[in-house]
This record gives sequence, structure tokens and C-alpha cells, in this order.
Amino acid sequence: MMKRDKLKTMVPIIARIGLGAVYLATVGAVFGFGIIVPHAIEDRIASWGILPLGVIGIIAWRGSWALLPIRVYLAVVFLSACWFKIADPHSFALDVATYDILPVALINPMALLLPWVEALAGVMLLIGFRVRSAALLTAGMMIVFIVALSVALARGLDMSCGCFASSGANEDPISVWTLVRDGVWLAMSLAIVLFDHQPPGVERLSGLR
Amino acid sequence: MHGLTFKSSVGDWRRVIIEAMVVVILSAVAAIAVNIVRGEHLPWIADEPYEIFVPCPEPLGEVSALVPSALEINDDKTVIIDARTADLFGTWHIDRAINVSFDYLDPVPEQTINDVVSQTARSGAQRVVVYGDGGNPDSGRELARELAGRGLKNVFFITGGADAIRSKPVEGCLL
Repeated sequence: MMKRDKLKTMVPIIARIGLGAVYLATVGAVFGFGIIVPHAIEDRIASWGILPLGVIGIIAWRGSWALLPIRVYLAVVFLSACWFKIADPHSFALDVATYDILPVALINPMALLLPWVEALAGVMLLIGFRVRSAALLTAGMMIVFIVALSVALARGLDMSCGCFASSGANEDPISVWTLVRDGVWLAMSLAIVLFDHQPPGVERLSGLR
Repeated sequence: MHGLTFKSSVGDWRRVIIEAMVVVILSAVAAIAVNIVRGEHLPWIADEPYEIFVPCPEPLGEVSALVPSALEINDDKTVIIDARTADLFGTWHIDRAINVSFDYLDPVPEQTINDVVSQTARSGAQRVVVYGDGGNPDSGRELARELAGRGLKNVFFITGGADAIRSKPVEGCLL
């Protein structure tokens, strides 16, 4: 019984150490290896935004505020990613088709639905409304993206990621680093799903939680 | 310290999953509504398969550019290759050039490459110079990279392709 209690005490500590490692790894990867190709404004937001958020995370490293920087960062990533897809579904459908994974009948539904899921999940993460549900969706999307990218890389396809603005393979080619980046975002999403039970945000302010 | 706990009940997880499903449904409603309002809406089911062009990985080698004005290519030690279509080759080509049409959608056949390699070896040539349509991308450069990738050494391409050469005629050209 004592052992179990000790384990329960240890889990949040291990989680905090893990999150710290995620911060350091992401910041190091973004600035050290240039995982996020800085060709588009969206990518710049995604890459440069992490540094101040990382600092805030370290300062607010206790209690329910611990995951706020990760939450806001993920929200910015997903909101940055969704707008071009909503604005130009034809281009995004072509990006989806380029992966050559889905049957033709599912390409357009995916191209129309996915950006809106990204948008709603992004808004929910940003304002702090049902954040674990939103993070579950972002985690699910990241798993789908990682599988699609892995298949494309295994086939040796020379193509664009299509994650942010639609672009040619020469501008934003997929690589192992794209997988690493998505893996970091998946870890962040899972951290919120598993640990963020009382997130600061509109829900807590309005007394709904 | 509250908020950062691992504890979740089954009911808690069920609620999270149901809420996520509700978000997906709301997203679908938003997607349908916006797609209806949109001027050029995307059909929910594609009328025909998408035509996608993803180049298959080909072994590509490093090649160097030659400026047409600096050409000294028409000697016995150079194999000259015209990468344009057979029609364009028939209209005009450099004297002694051989035609290996480059098609972006179709890799150069192995036999053609072997012919070029054996011709280069027979002639005692020391370099291969390729010129193409001078477009962007330039078929000459692409073919040169492909030849270099198949093991040919000293492969060059002409910047600007056939049009650049024609505007600065090289001795021996068939104009």
C-alpha cells in the first residue's frame, strides 16, 4: 500500500521531468537542427513561439499552470495549420491525395473535415475549454499524420508535407525530422490528455469546472 | 499542487471521448455549411481520381553548368546530347549531337543509358555535355543529373539550353 502511494506521488514528479525534457528537446531541435522549415509564416510562429512559451513553462512549473504553455503552443500550431486548408480545400485535397493512402472517395471528406477539427481543437486549447477532449483529438490527428508520413517516407516519395501552407517538395520536403516534430507534438497532446485535469481558462473562470 | 494528476476514472475518460466525438460532429457541420456557402465548393466525393505527380526517387548525380558563350564543346573529346523531343531535335541540333529525349514522367531506359556509356567509351571522350529546352526545370540539367547518377563522370549541362546556344552559335552548328 505504501509502495502504491509512493508511486502515486512520484507520477506527477516524473511527468514534470518528462515535460521539461520535451521542452528542452523541442527548443533544441527547433533551433539546433531546424526541424521546422522556416519558409512560411505559420512555420515561423510554430518554431519561434516555443521559446517564450518554454520560458513561461519553466517559470509556471507548478500546479495547474504547468501545462498552459504547451496548451497555448499546440493551439497556435493547429490554428496556424488549419486556416490555409479551410481557405483552399482544393489544394489541401491534392496534398491528401499525394500521400496515396486514402481511397478516392475519402480524400475530399478528409480534406473538408480535418481542418475544422484542427480549428475547433485549437480554439478549445487556446481558451481552456474541455482541453483534454481537444488534446485527445490533436493526439489522434498526430498519430494519423505520423502513420501517413511514415508510409510516404518508406515509399521514398519526394513530396511536401502539406502540414501548413501547401507547397512544393523543394520548399517543404518531408523527412525524418518531420516525423520527430510530429512526435513531439503527439507527446505534448498526450501530456495534456493525461495530466491537465484543472486547466486555467474560460471553463474554470466561469465556474463550469 | 492541483491539476497535474494522473488520476482518471472510467467515467472521466468516457466523458472526454464523448466530448471529442461531439467536436468532430460540430466540425463536420461547420465543414458542410462553409462548403455549401463557398463559391467554388469542393465536391464531397471526387468526380475522378486526382492526378498527382510525385517523382519516383532516381539516382541523381552532381553536374556542372556550362555557359553557352564559354562553349568549346564541339571537339572529339566531348559527347553532346540533346535532351529535347525528337521533333525539336529534327528542327535543329548541334552537329554530332545525339538525341536522348528526356521525359519528366518516364525515366530514361536502361538500354539508352548503356548506349550513351558505350558510345562515350568508344569515342574516347572525356566529358558529356547535355543541352535541353532551357526551361524551369531544364530538361538538359535533369538528364545530365540522371546520367551522372548512373555513373557517368564529367557530365555538364548548358545553361539556358538550346535557345541560349542558338543565340550564340557554336562553330559547327546546323542552323
